[in-house]
Amino acid sequence: MGAVETRLDGAKKASSQPQIALLGNPNCGKTALFNRLTGSRQKVANYAGVTIERKEGHFTTPAGTPVRLLDLPGAYSLSATTPDEAITRDVVGGLRPGDPRPDAIICVVDATNLRLNLRLVLEVKRLGLPMLLSLNMTDVAKKRGLVIDAAKLSQELGMPVVETIAVQHDGEKALLAAIDAMLPLPPADPQPLSSIDSVSVEATQREVRRILAIVSNDSADSGNLTEKIDNVVLHPVMGPIILAVLMFLIFQAVFAWAATPMEMITAGVEHLGAVLTANMPDGHLKSLLVEGVIGGVGSVLVFLPQILILFFFILSLEDCGYLPRAAFLLDRLMGGVGLSGRAFIPLLSSFACAIPGVMAARTIQNPRDRLVTIMIAPLMTCSARLPVYALIIAAFIPERQVWGLLSLQGLVLFVLYFAGIISAMIVAWVMKRSMGVKSQHPLLLELPAYHWPHLRNLAVSLWERAKIFLTRVGTIILTLMIILWFLSTFPGPPDNAIHPPIYYSLAGILGRGLEVIFAPIGFNWQICIALVPGMAAREVAVGALGTVYALSQSGDALAASLEPLIAHSWSMATALSLLAWYVFAPQCLSTLSVVKRETGATRYALLMAGYMFALAYGASFITYRIALLLGA
Amino acid sequence: MTQAPPQITLDALAVGQSGTVLHITPLPADQVGDGVDLARRLMELGFVPGERIRMLKRGIPGGDPLAIKVGNATFALRRFEAALITIEPLA
Repeated sequence: MGAVETRLDGAKKASSQPQIALLGNPNCGKTALFNRLTGSRQKVANYAGVTIERKEGHFTTPAGTPVRLLDLPGAYSLSATTPDEAITRDVVGGLRPGDPRPDAIICVVDATNLRLNLRLVLEVKRLGLPMLLSLNMTDVAKKRGLVIDAAKLSQELGMPVVETIAVQHDGEKALLAAIDAMLPLPPADPQPLSSIDSVSVEATQREVRRILAIVSNDSADSGNLTEKIDNVVLHPVMGPIILAVLMFLIFQAVFAWAATPMEMITAGVEHLGAVLTANMPDGHLKSLLVEGVIGGVGSVLVFLPQILILFFFILSLEDCGYLPRAAFLLDRLMGGVGLSGRAFIPLLSSFACAIPGVMAARTIQNPRDRLVTIMIAPLMTCSARLPVYALIIAAFIPERQVWGLLSLQGLVLFVLYFAGIISAMIVAWVMKRSMGVKSQHPLLLELPAYHWPHLRNLAVSLWERAKIFLTRVGTIILTLMIILWFLSTFPGPPDNAIHPPIYYSLAGILGRGLEVIFAPIGFNWQICIALVPGMAAREVAVGALGTVYALSQSGDALAASLEPLIAHSWSMATALSLLAWYVFAPQCLSTLSVVKRETGATRYALLMAGYMFALAYGASFITYRIALLLGA
Repeated sequence: MTQAPPQITLDALAVGQSGTVLHITPLPADQVGDGVDLARRLMELGFVPGERIRMLKRGIPGGDPLAIKVGNATFALRRFEAALITIEPLA
């Protein structure tokens, strides 16, 4: 709570507080420094109109001045090739309405790579804003025997230079002192953005070389630990094997480690439901709370552990520098279907959820590559499909071993994941062909030095993910469950009802109407009802089937008792057809809205919904008909 | 009288070999994709005339993409990008 209060307090005083921006190359440790300075007093939102993350926080200097701090997206140059760089350029140029031009800039540079980093510093300096240089990762530089004379560097650059170690306690001390020394800020003489180009890149680099010769013993090229690791990790044979083993371990962990916390959440939700059932009078309110709210929300909340575990791995691999290597290894393979190796990162994220995946696609520079990556991201089996798969597989696929060691159920699950990947590759290939693009696209991917993932940063990032997920559960999913409950409860059944009450409700009428469309692929009206809320959030389909089959348990108990019920009432062909349906599962609405925001066009969201619906219907139809022919 | 140094494009450099960047060739206008000035971008990433570079790794299959060390940074480039960079190999 404290953080929220201080933040509100901070917003009130906003006008008098100096606003400082952190700016630097990607991989310079800028965000770690931001976390170190602001701790939990930060607000993560998006820049207006785009889904590029805008991180703002505040802190108080040792001398007592409150400062607002903005963490700008990483950039190699202000001439801006990527959307991220364009944001950085526009903010420091004062061109973004709603984002005032910063009063001062802290340039963060990786001390081990001044040759690359200093060029941006020289560029930014031309803008005439008050500046401070944070020489970051000095600990790594010292370990490598790199000596940098900060005093001389300060003299050459004409700005204060301080050493920082963002990943170490108190590593920001010198920076805080330097900020105090800078305040109050001298009147600035800001120059227009065009002043960046007043000197050519070559001339800027000559200047960097001149400065480096004075301040550092940098020998420009030395073999180091990162190279030794890369000899193995990027090895033509070892590299792909390591990548495959890593991916296998991650998916194992997502299922194995999450089991216990998932059981605990389920037990907690059931307990809450039981307490309410016992203590509330019968009636609509009780039904709404127990069946609608607790049952529905609980069945989604249970996926929090899996999502956090998957993100833990993705964030760790990203933090230590492995993900760009994976992109390197897969570039050729992805290039075969017209994608860039960079697409690997968004696609991997999409196994947790397509939304962060679609957002991660913004690191792809080429607009067409980016669009295709966004379009196929939802074909990666997201964690929301798992409960649906788990329910149907448990009900219909016998639990036995094939070839001695593989479980048949596990094998079916693997096939479903694999079907998603293969179809994504085919869709990508078809889309690239239809765009008629033949020219090659650049990769231009930095392979940063390896370092240990930093636990504090990891914790902050995971907490952000958890907050996003819980907000979603608390808003979209909660609303849906309440709406679904209303639709399935009213109007009540007539006195001479021969069917369960839901048959006569609005949802029942809707389901029976949809059955006309879905009967050819083997779906009955109960499934049709569940499909509707399942479109808003796929995992809700399980909860919805539960409601539809007029059950009042929640969580695992619901799935467990739903299982024999559907095993009785569905044919094997219907079950397989529904599995095929969920491989393509027409988009959850939140993914579609993110796609619309990311691409800036409604037509792409519609195209996505359309092609996925067509694929889902086609795949289910074929599956259903073949299964019927085989007598299933 | 100085002898003209041997020139090759970066994509022809063998793994483990070093060189010095001589110049960057802009892409022909009809191949410039999506308004990205590739030559300028390569320079912004450090492929500036006079810089030392070293070929670290080649991807599989077909030796694409390439991992190239420039200064203390390592970048992955596709072969056609590396072909824009003319270098003088070091013996």
